[in-house]
Amino acid sequence: MTGEGYFGRFGGFYAPEVLVYSLKELQAGYSKLSRDPGFKEELNGLLSTYAGRPTPLYCARRLSEKIGGATIYLKREDLAHTGSHKINNALGQALLAKKTGRSRIIAETGAGQHGVATATVSALLGLDCEIYMGEVDVERQKLNCYRMNLLGAKVNVVKSGSRTLKDSINEAMRDYASTSDHTHYLIGSVVGPHPYPTMVRDFQSVIGAETKDQMASATGKLPDALVACVGGGSNSIGLFHPFIDDREVQMFGAEAAGEGIDTGSHSASIVAGKEGVLHGSRTLILQDENGQVSETASVAAGLDYPAVGPEHAFLNCIGRAAYTAVTDREALSAFHLLSETEGIIPALESAHAIHLAANVARELGPDKNVVVSLSGRGDKDVDQVARLEGKS
Amino acid sequence: MSAIAKVFENLKRAGDGAYIPYVCCGDRGTRFTTGLVKRLTCAGADIVELGLPFSDPLADGPTIQSAMVRALSSGFRTQMLFDTISTVRSEDVKVPIVVMTYYNPIVRMGEKAFCENLSKVGADAVLAVDLPIEESSELDAAAADNGLDVIKLVAPTTGDERARRIMNSASGFVYAVSVSGVTGAKDSLPDTALALLKRLSDISAIPVALGFGISNRRQVMNAMSAGASGVVEGSALISIYSQSSLEEDALLDLVEKHARELKNATKQTLHCDE
Repeated sequence: MTGEGYFGRFGGFYAPEVLVYSLKELQAGYSKLSRDPGFKEELNGLLSTYAGRPTPLYCARRLSEKIGGATIYLKREDLAHTGSHKINNALGQALLAKKTGRSRIIAETGAGQHGVATATVSALLGLDCEIYMGEVDVERQKLNCYRMNLLGAKVNVVKSGSRTLKDSINEAMRDYASTSDHTHYLIGSVVGPHPYPTMVRDFQSVIGAETKDQMASATGKLPDALVACVGGGSNSIGLFHPFIDDREVQMFGAEAAGEGIDTGSHSASIVAGKEGVLHGSRTLILQDENGQVSETASVAAGLDYPAVGPEHAFLNCIGRAAYTAVTDREALSAFHLLSETEGIIPALESAHAIHLAANVARELGPDKNVVVSLSGRGDKDVDQVARLEGKS
Repeated sequence: MSAIAKVFENLKRAGDGAYIPYVCCGDRGTRFTTGLVKRLTCAGADIVELGLPFSDPLADGPTIQSAMVRALSSGFRTQMLFDTISTVRSEDVKVPIVVMTYYNPIVRMGEKAFCENLSKVGADAVLAVDLPIEESSELDAAAADNGLDVIKLVAPTTGDERARRIMNSASGFVYAVSVSGVTGAKDSLPDTALALLKRLSDISAIPVALGFGISNRRQVMNAMSAGASGVVEGSALISIYSQSSLEEDALLDLVEKHARELKNATKQTLHCDE
């Protein structure tokens, strides 16, 4: 396990032979373009004029006061075009696809945010687009489903397995196996075989890079802690990565504890998973003693995934980042807290990070600064929360 | 020489090819699996591929996915694979058995323990669909230590240099994937399959079995003429018994009849009669 695409012993290139040729082509294409100043310039142009970057770093005073500890800053990825950080990676990969001669984009989506971002950039760049989305997710994220249609994408409803994110990835991989000569598979998280975990992390690192500059302007120093939610782990690795060598900056990831780790109904693959191989990577996976992947649960569709990006498994293994699981109930409470104290309705995924950030802020105490990635806005979740709380 | 290598050598001497049916272990219960394997060998199967079901079979089409779901939802555990192999061996099934699965169930048990168990119950080879040569050194070593062949896949998009590396590191035979895509029955052989067979026969002398999409005798004969040493049939066989409400014996009769037809199509002598 010393080949390409490894983070310690995690990651790698566990792909069926039918995908190897295309993945190697992708590696070569990405490796070439990532060193091409023209590509970077074009991507940065789109990130700024189209996606609305840099996103603000906002000092959440009322939230901080309410919690009574460190000062909490929100990295406002919810204000990026399409309402989440997913646009950063979607733009990068779609531009890469276009430059390497692909005319069709496919993607998986859980909460629908990545599907919407992918449909958006496909419209922007004139590429055909098909999104795989689990039947369960389609039901709980109807609005995003319709948004994808509006943007000209076809949504393929996935009815296999648990009918959620992991099965959408399986289905997208099956599509890719027979279409990779003209199709790019735009994976939405830091998962999959090499080069995906590295490439997606690079495209998302804009979050942490901006945060570093913005904290320097706001406070003249590095933050004391970073907090983000972790499903596959793309917004969190995007925030963490530029700070990895800044040892004094603590990093905290919030996984989804669903109804509680003890109930078995959760998605906390770092907290409760075991090492294995899924979707092309060696990583931590929720699985049974026979190596069959477990069905997962979370109130947040975007966290409902039984594995995690291999770089997170590595950061956990070496103790550089600490991962905690946050329950549905805690996330819902944080969803209300942020809405009421700051007038910002967070995505349910991000609400997990808000809950953990509150704990971290309390522990650090005053005169410290915590940055939490507000990875997405909560409009998509309003219906679901109203239903859960018996208000619709 | 391994049992698999012997099978191919004997077939080659007779001018025949290998018929290799795939069976999803535990689909309709392990007792059915045992019955199926016995009938397939009665029909002349030269090697049997026994699938260890996996929850996320991303290289498989709907037919094999459904078979795996049926097996897993009825409580299939890895131990049942070993037990099933023990049972078929005790019931006088002599043909080589290749265990085909995805990598994670092997990782969970540990490559070493998995191969030891396979060897103990009388399996002959292992194939992990999502384990390319870049990552296969641990399984290769564990298999070699336990006298198992390691079957590897080659795809139409695999270049010559890579195909050479794969064929050099494989043992028993190489599994040529007929089409860039997933498993599932088709009516004819794509040009990509014929081109691949031609290419592979120029690269190495290791036997090549063609799979993915095999369902009828015409395809089998075409594969043989294009240089295949054998064919693997999976989805089409599963469809015979999964889409019928017949009694078990009647189902097995149908499967056996179909398998016999495909086996006959691998025989040189029959080609002349056509």
